[in-house]
Amino acid sequence: MLEIKSLSVGYNEHLILKDISLSVHPGEVVALIGPNGTGKSTLIRAISGVLPLQGGSIRLCGSEIGSLSSGNRARTLAVVPQIQSLPASFNVYQAILLGRTPYLGWLGQAGKRDHDTVCQAMLQTKTDHLTERCIGELSGGEQQRVLLARALAQTTPILIMDEPTNHLDVSHQSSFLNLTRKLAVQNGLAVLVALHDLNLTSLYADRVAVLFEGRLKAIGVPEQVFVEENLSPIYGGQLRVITHPEYGTPLVLPAGPDLEYAPQNRGYIVEASAQLREHIYV
Amino acid sequence: MKTTSQIYLIALSLLAGTFLLSVAVGAVFIPLNEMMAVFMRGVASTDAYSSILLKVRIPHTVLILITGAALGGSGAAYQGLFRNPLADPYLIGVASGASLGAVFAMSANWPNGLLGFYAIPVAAFIGSVGTVFLVYYLARVGKTVPATTMILAGVAVSSFATSLTSFLMLRSSGELHRAISWLMGGGTMGGWDPVLASLPYILLGLGVLLASGHTLNVLQFGDEQAHNLGLHVERTKLILILAASLATAAAVSFSGVIGFVGLIVPHMVRILWGADYRRMVPLSILGGASMLLAADALARTIMAPQVLPVGIITALAGAPFFLWLLRSVRNQAFG
Amino acid sequence: MKSKLLITTLLIIILLAACVPANTTTPESVELTEAPTAAPVVPENVSVTVTDQRGKEFQFEQPVQRIVSLAPSNTEILFAVGAGDQVVGRDTFSDFPAEAANVADIGGGFGALDTETILASTPDLVLAADLTPVEQIQALEDLGLSVFVLGNPTDLPGMYENLRTVAVITGHLEETETLIASLEERVTVVEEKLAGITERPLVLYELDGTDPNAPWVPGPGTFVDTLLTMAGGNSMSASLEGAWVQVSLETIIEMDPDLILLGDAQWGGVTPEMVAARGGWDALTSVQQDKVYPFDDNLVSRPGPRMVDGLEALARFLHPDLFE
Repeated sequence: MLEIKSLSVGYNEHLILKDISLSVHPGEVVALIGPNGTGKSTLIRAISGVLPLQGGSIRLCGSEIGSLSSGNRARTLAVVPQIQSLPASFNVYQAILLGRTPYLGWLGQAGKRDHDTVCQAMLQTKTDHLTERCIGELSGGEQQRVLLARALAQTTPILIMDEPTNHLDVSHQSSFLNLTRKLAVQNGLAVLVALHDLNLTSLYADRVAVLFEGRLKAIGVPEQVFVEENLSPIYGGQLRVITHPEYGTPLVLPAGPDLEYAPQNRGYIVEASAQLREHIYV
Repeated sequence: MKTTSQIYLIALSLLAGTFLLSVAVGAVFIPLNEMMAVFMRGVASTDAYSSILLKVRIPHTVLILITGAALGGSGAAYQGLFRNPLADPYLIGVASGASLGAVFAMSANWPNGLLGFYAIPVAAFIGSVGTVFLVYYLARVGKTVPATTMILAGVAVSSFATSLTSFLMLRSSGELHRAISWLMGGGTMGGWDPVLASLPYILLGLGVLLASGHTLNVLQFGDEQAHNLGLHVERTKLILILAASLATAAAVSFSGVIGFVGLIVPHMVRILWGADYRRMVPLSILGGASMLLAADALARTIMAPQVLPVGIITALAGAPFFLWLLRSVRNQAFG
Repeated sequence: MKSKLLITTLLIIILLAACVPANTTTPESVELTEAPTAAPVVPENVSVTVTDQRGKEFQFEQPVQRIVSLAPSNTEILFAVGAGDQVVGRDTFSDFPAEAANVADIGGGFGALDTETILASTPDLVLAADLTPVEQIQALEDLGLSVFVLGNPTDLPGMYENLRTVAVITGHLEETETLIASLEERVTVVEEKLAGITERPLVLYELDGTDPNAPWVPGPGTFVDTLLTMAGGNSMSASLEGAWVQVSLETIIEMDPDLILLGDAQWGGVTPEMVAARGGWDALTSVQQDKVYPFDDNLVSRPGPRMVDGLEALARFLHPDLFE
């Protein structure tokens, strides 16, 4: 499991993250949300050991991150990054095979077990048909799944993902997060995923941590955290939280346009929503 | 897509072919049967022929081979390290440092005393390695050495070294043509000595690079992803830079500055056979040796008896290469 | 902190570079022709017209009293004809005779002349040579100076003509004729001694051995080449073209010269030991037999009266049994 206590990250006096404490347990999917620029990526980079800590501690499966060798760390924690500046001419299979690096020697000789793991990861992420392709030829969604496959090939108990659904269309977003949940539950992975979309979060996360101005403003199950008093100061404007008609999870609705500039059928919608409200609100 | 063994076979055949070509041509025409006699029994019908082959031509060819190998291999490594297809082994100051050292030794007339013939190559080597260390140290940001800062530091230090070299050349106008000849790729030592002296460094450097194909592959995804895959990124980059620079410094110190090999060969290998560094490094080593052998054979024969500096031939090859590259990139953009 | 290190490193490097001595040649003492003592100038009240190498005509009403020399060969000639007192400026590389050191140095080191000093010495004539860049001549003429270009001779009679030309300009014709006669006699002595030789040793005259795989040698028709032949030898240049030519070590091994003269001994510091240590050169008979000799290149490359010294020196190397 992943335990973060009182984490502070920054440069000299200017702290980007202040006193963050959060845990992710095996089999759990914790979502990290917050407005753009609030430090989600910074937190992920701190957890993976790329950034130095100004204060606090990070424990991976009980061990301080600083005490782990780089190989051990890579066998405990894997990161699915955003799909930026990937080497275009790299072969997909070879790219996923790189996930086995912590288990290979300096020369990188892969054995049967490594190849089997890669195949399994590709099956799980439905990327097995992309074996012979080059990364540059793939769509954003396919690239994201390849990066997930690579992280899975690392067979780590902890998985961290940096906004993996940004470049996916709606149906793929759902299937990606569904897959994530499946892996977490079946393999007992502790998953921390930074997400942009609040509604996906409430559907797919066990718990959610809200990051704002470098601090954790709230952490808990979506039903508790996604209330207007919590969200409005962070996301600004007027948000409405209603209950999802099918799943019962919180649905965050964005504020509508000003009445003067509203689209033409506005009057009809205003009326309909009043009916809707009567219909679904308990 | 050919199989791996087929590709290596082609590369090795190319190398063997250019090696034989280089041994076959020279100022003195030696008939084939005489050459075979020397290879078989070590003697030929005349002392002159065996002396020429064994003491002049073959050692020169071997020197060119290992120089080209060093330039090709380190070129591939630099392109992988900096993730930039325009990176070449001279990016962070190896050539400018070597030039400064060599011209300094020439202007101070060192072969007269200290170290004899080795004075100039040793001075070049020191200048070369010293410059790389300076660039590396200057480019450090905290604990990391980002690729962009290294490139910038390399450009800055190289400019300084180059202007200092020009100043020295001006001050010792008597040595001017020696310096110019060296700067264009001409050695100051003949026979087996330069081969034996540079071989250990080139072997060491290339050995490390050959074993680093997988590591270079991992680095293609950026420092952070490499870190997350378990690599000691800074330590690895330092080792790779040292290995590549060592091989290049040894090559340049004994053969002068020969450009474009380290740039063109890895590029061609990548286009022909893909960007897997486990293959790119060995193929660039073989390709670099072949290219330089061919260029050297040309340099020695095209204006015989005058010996053109081989750097001129490689530079002349560079222009059409880049034009072709430009065309293919443009066609891709519109195609 | 890092910038301090950088500045310190830069300063150290600059200081080191500045400490490197500028290359100057030191004259080696080989047998010299003594420059004739400067006789008092006898003005000849006859107007003479002399044409320089460019075809430009110069009219002198009386001998020129203030001359600036732009080349070491010109300086040697001026002093040899007895006009040493009339030289008011000379280029940096003019190191012979010793008296030339007392004359003002007007530059020429980086290829740049110190025009201010030239103008300050108010010369009547500037004596340029073939190797003076056209731009420099033009620049001096633009400043209103008279520049006489003394051409490069390719044989001894041509050199004698140059002596005469300079003698006429400076008013020392009579003593110069004496000088020429003595030079001619020395040449005749050499030729007579060589009259009956049966062998002409093959000589490798090395002008520049920076690349030991392809040293530079004088080409056919150059003065050095001519002198080598006159001194009873064969130069390697027979099959070559051009003034300065590179010859591959392979060719040298094939032709196996009888002896090697190192023209780059003085300015390049090349010694016979260094040559013997060059990779592949031990295949040469001349190296195995220690017949590698340093040679004062100034004696054969500066077109002046010392070329006769050069001829004698060459003859001594090539036929030691005939010359002591």
